[in-house]
Amino acid sequence: MREPTFLILTALAGGSRHGYGIIQDVAAISEARVHLLPGTLYTALDRLVAQGLVAHDRDEQVEGRLRRYYRLTHQGLQALDVETARLRQLTNAAEARLRTLRPHTA
Amino acid sequence: MPPTGDPLANRYRRLLLCYPREWRRLRGEEMVAVLLESATPGRTRPTPRETVDLLRHGLRSRLGRPASYTVVAWAVLTAVICGLFSAALTSWVAWQTARPLPDRAETTALVAEVLPGYAAKEMDSPTALFTFYSQPLRLENLDSVLLGDGGEYQQGAVVAVVTGVPPASQQETLALAQRRLRETGWRVYPPHVVPGTTCTGISCDPAARDTMIFARRGDTGLDLSLPARPSVDSTPVTVALRRATPPAVLPAGVLGGLIGAVAGWLVFGWASRRTERPHRAADAVTVLHTITMLLWWSPAVLAAPQLLQHHRDEPHPVWHPLWEWLGQPALSLFFVVGAGCALCGLALATLPRRDPGPLTTTATG
Repeated sequence: MREPTFLILTALAGGSRHGYGIIQDVAAISEARVHLLPGTLYTALDRLVAQGLVAHDRDEQVEGRLRRYYRLTHQGLQALDVETARLRQLTNAAEARLRTLRPHTA
Repeated sequence: MPPTGDPLANRYRRLLLCYPREWRRLRGEEMVAVLLESATPGRTRPTPRETVDLLRHGLRSRLGRPASYTVVAWAVLTAVICGLFSAALTSWVAWQTARPLPDRAETTALVAEVLPGYAAKEMDSPTALFTFYSQPLRLENLDSVLLGDGGEYQQGAVVAVVTGVPPASQQETLALAQRRLRETGWRVYPPHVVPGTTCTGISCDPAARDTMIFARRGDTGLDLSLPARPSVDSTPVTVALRRATPPAVLPAGVLGGLIGAVAGWLVFGWASRRTERPHRAADAVTVLHTITMLLWWSPAVLAAPQLLQHHRDEPHPVWHPLWEWLGQPALSLFFVVGAGCALCGLALATLPRRDPGPLTTTATG
C-alpha cells in the first residue's frame, strides 16, 4: 500500500470526510509533509471504491458547493489494520537494529 | 457543469475536460468545489502543479478500470504504436513534397561533374520517389506487398552505369570522385568497403574489395559504387542518385505522431471503459487487443534493431524512412490483420452493457 493510500484510509478511519476534508486531514496526519492534490485524491478514491475499501456516504450542499462524503468500509478497515500491523512490525524491527547500533541512545 | 462568473472555476472546468464525460457528469461539480476550497483566496488561475495533476489523472481516468495497474501499460503500448504508425503515414505524405528524381540530362551532367572523363552508358530512371521492383506502386501490386514482397517497396534512385576511357583502377577512380565531390560542394562520407562481390573461381583475389562512396548536396544523395577490379571483371561503376528527406517530413511526423498517440489513448480509453465487466464481450475484446498489439509491435521490434545496425554499418546521407523502422510494408500483413482485430474489438465494444447503470465511478459506491 502506497503512502497516500494509507493516509487517505487513516483520514477516513476518523469518520466520514468530504474531498477537501480528506486533503486537510492527510496534511494534518503527515504533519504537512504530504499535500494531496485533488486529481491525485480522486484517482485514489476511484481505486479504493473499486476495491471496496471506501464507499460513498452522503451528499451535502455548503454555500452552494457540493460536498460528497466518503467512509471506510469494513474491508477498508481490515486493510488499514493489516497495513498498520505491517508497518508496526517494520518499525519495531528498525528500532531494534538502531538500538543495537547506538546503545547509548536507547 | 454550468459555467459561472468565477474565472477560476471556469478554468478548472475547462481542465476537467481531460476527464471522460460520464465522470464529469457524476463528479465534476464535486471536484470543482474541492479545487476551489483548496485554492488560496484571490487566485484566478490554476497553478501549474494543479494543471499537470488534472491532466495526468484525467487521462488516467479516461482508461476506466480504476483498480487495474496494468491498464496504463496497455494504454501506453497502444498510444505509442498508434503514434508511430501515424507518424509514418504523415511522414510518407510529407515525402511527396520532395522534388522529382533527377532526369537523364541532370544525371548526365552530375556524372560529368563528379567523374570527368566518364560517361553514363546506361541509365535506370524510375518515375516515382518510392518504387516497387523499380516501378511505381500500383493497386494490382497490393497482394504482392501484403504477401511477402513488401520489403521491395523502397526509395527509388536514378542509377547510371558509367565507364571511363581508358578504364581506370578502383583507387584512381576513388581518388578522382572524392576530390571532385568535395570541389563541387558535396558532403562526402567516409568510403565504405565491402568484400569483393566479383571474386570467383581461380581468378579470385581475397584482398579485392568493393568500395562505396556516399555523398549529399542539398536535397540529393549520391551513392558511388566502385567494384574491386572494374577493368578485369567488366563490373560496372554505378552512380545512384536519390532525394534526401524533405524538410517537411520531421514536423509532419512529429505532428502526426502526437495526434495518433492521443487518438490511440482516447480510443483505447473509450473501449476500456466500455468493456469493463460485466460487458458481454469483455474477454473477446481483451484477446483481440492483445493480438493487435502483438501484430503491430512485433514487426517494429524485429525491424528497428536490424535497421539501426544497418545504419551503423555504413554511412547514410539519407536515412531510411520511418515506416521501414516499423517493419512496414515488409510485414504489412501483420499490420493489416492487427488492424482487422482492432476494428473487430471496437465493434464488439459498442455492444450494450449487461447492466443498465452508469459506468464505474466512486459516485456510485
